[in-house]
Amino acid sequence: MMISRYHLKHTAVLGGALWAALLLLLWLTGQLLVWQDKQAQQHEFEEFLSEIENALEEHGLDHVLQEFELEEDEIWPDSEAQAHLFDEGWLVALFKQERLLLGANTKLTATSTPQWHSVSLGEEGNVELLSASVNLPDNLQLHYWQKRDELHAHRAEFYSQITHWFALLSLPLILAAIAWLQYKRTRTLQALSEQLAQVAHSPDSKRTQVSTSNPDIVALSLAINRMLDEITRLHGNLKTMSVGIAHDLKTPLSRISNRLQSMVQDLDNPATLEGHIDKANNELAQVINTFNNLVRLNAIESGKHIQGFKTFDLSALIDELAQSYQPVFEDSGRRFEVSIVPAVHCHGDRDLLGQLICNLLENALEHSHSDAHVWLRLQSHTDSALLQIGDDGPGIPTGDQPKIFDKFYRADISRGRPGNGLGLSIVRAICDVHKAQLCLLEQQPGAVFNIEIPTRPARSD
Amino acid sequence: MHILLVEDDPDTAEFICAGLAQHNARVQHCNNAEQAMLSASATAFDVIIFDRLLPNMDGLDAVRVLRASKVRTPIIMLTALSDTADRVAGLEAGADDYLVKPFAFAELYARLKALARRQPLRSDTLELVYSELRLNRTSRRVYRAGKEIELMPKEYQILEYMMQNPEQLITKTMLLEQVWGFSFDPKTSLVQTHVSRLRNKLDKPFAFDMIKTIRGSGYLLMGSNDD
Repeated sequence: MMISRYHLKHTAVLGGALWAALLLLLWLTGQLLVWQDKQAQQHEFEEFLSEIENALEEHGLDHVLQEFELEEDEIWPDSEAQAHLFDEGWLVALFKQERLLLGANTKLTATSTPQWHSVSLGEEGNVELLSASVNLPDNLQLHYWQKRDELHAHRAEFYSQITHWFALLSLPLILAAIAWLQYKRTRTLQALSEQLAQVAHSPDSKRTQVSTSNPDIVALSLAINRMLDEITRLHGNLKTMSVGIAHDLKTPLSRISNRLQSMVQDLDNPATLEGHIDKANNELAQVINTFNNLVRLNAIESGKHIQGFKTFDLSALIDELAQSYQPVFEDSGRRFEVSIVPAVHCHGDRDLLGQLICNLLENALEHSHSDAHVWLRLQSHTDSALLQIGDDGPGIPTGDQPKIFDKFYRADISRGRPGNGLGLSIVRAICDVHKAQLCLLEQQPGAVFNIEIPTRPARSD
Repeated sequence: MHILLVEDDPDTAEFICAGLAQHNARVQHCNNAEQAMLSASATAFDVIIFDRLLPNMDGLDAVRVLRASKVRTPIIMLTALSDTADRVAGLEAGADDYLVKPFAFAELYARLKALARRQPLRSDTLELVYSELRLNRTSRRVYRAGKEIELMPKEYQILEYMMQNPEQLITKTMLLEQVWGFSFDPKTSLVQTHVSRLRNKLDKPFAFDMIKTIRGSGYLLMGSNDD
């Protein structure tokens, strides 16, 4: 069991404070009990005094003296009086007009009302006394002292002993208890840390598990797992992207490398040389195109175009693009059908929405049958425009459908073809900045994309 | 052509200077914005080629300063940033054209020629005439050797742009920008398809082809058959 310095300090501070607080509480309780005890004795003492007064009235002084076992005119000197007080626990003195008649001839004084006070009895140390002077008839005055009895004194001592022992024994116990609690609490966290260290090696497979019912730690563990899932997803994207970049660059770069070698071989033949240069240029153009698309995708995703958004005629833009693409589809042998509701305006970036439509049309050109039917439709709804671009086959394999918008994702069959897997990622990024809903319709013979573009400017975020 | 080249990268500068020298253009090269601004105000150049990222100063700011001090020489900006937003920023700062690195020299030269010739054509001429071709900009009618040719809107726009820059290389990207207003490159043969349709109408019925293809670069409008 490892306890860190932090926890050590924490334990010491917390334990010390708890210990001091308990000690104070115990001491206060002890004091209270002693005080109560003294009060009770004082009360008894008062009752005793009133009993003496009664006895005097009823039976006379002689009877009382008999009760005290005192001879008439018996006088104790100071030392004897103190010894008596100490041994018997009480002392009496009877005065008549300030003259001692009998009893203790002592320096001890007596207060008029019963009160506790502490006096020094020489060798015997301090003794707590109750004393009182009672005025009797015939100018008589009775002084009476009572020592605190042993039982009560012991009780008080017992309390202070308990406090001392508690002070001595409880501190390590309290510290141990706190340390144990802390250990218990940190153990689950340490286990979590260890699991996370393992996750670092294989974030795809490992997830955290906690064996505790502490809801905070369970919630933490769940949050960590959700984060790991997200990281895994992003990591996966990154991997696909790196593989995609590597593939998209490696193929043209190796072709360029081949061309360069051929150029060296064909240095004497200008016509062949020119052919090699042309081909190498085309391959390089592809590499540069990939980079340009990546940069553009990044720029779109960063949202910096949003400041330039304007309201413009979407129908006119789509109509112009459709007219431009009509001959392209015709030449490729496909049937291109266009239906556009006029005068639909939307708020956005004309250039980006133009690219969105071009990319989807290019996609249809590239991936549909050579005699396919391709259509472009624009409908107007209350707050949005619905753009549909679709073809009638062969469509996208079900397994690939969720991934087609990922960067550099290409269904394996189209890997060999030129172009990069960024066209649809750009489409998605453009939809995102326009807050447009993009979806690929399911259960269709071909690839049909629905895009719902808000026609009113979004309230400023 | 008398050209001011503002470019801090020696390789790129050498590449551009060598290319321009082949076309017998006079080039003054400087590698920082301060010197460029002095030269541009002192000498009347036909075109200025301005790199966007210069030491100590953004080319955009330099162009703004030049425009503010009434230098009206056409400016083409070169940049490694290929995004439309940057392009718009460049044009708004007062540049006339924007070219993304890396570029083919042919592309740069074609754009330089277009820019250098632009001034006299800016005035809205009602009729463009070149060789056998006549293009009426109000009626949008086109005649070759007196015979009317019916063109689709995009074909008309392509021809109009070519007639504004005859005997000059016009690249695919220039057409995409000028005719379609695209700052991106659609993969397919959008431009090729339209140019080939234009050719079918413009060249096929006649004695010689006026639109020539420069392989890998673009197109050229020529008034006679000889190369």
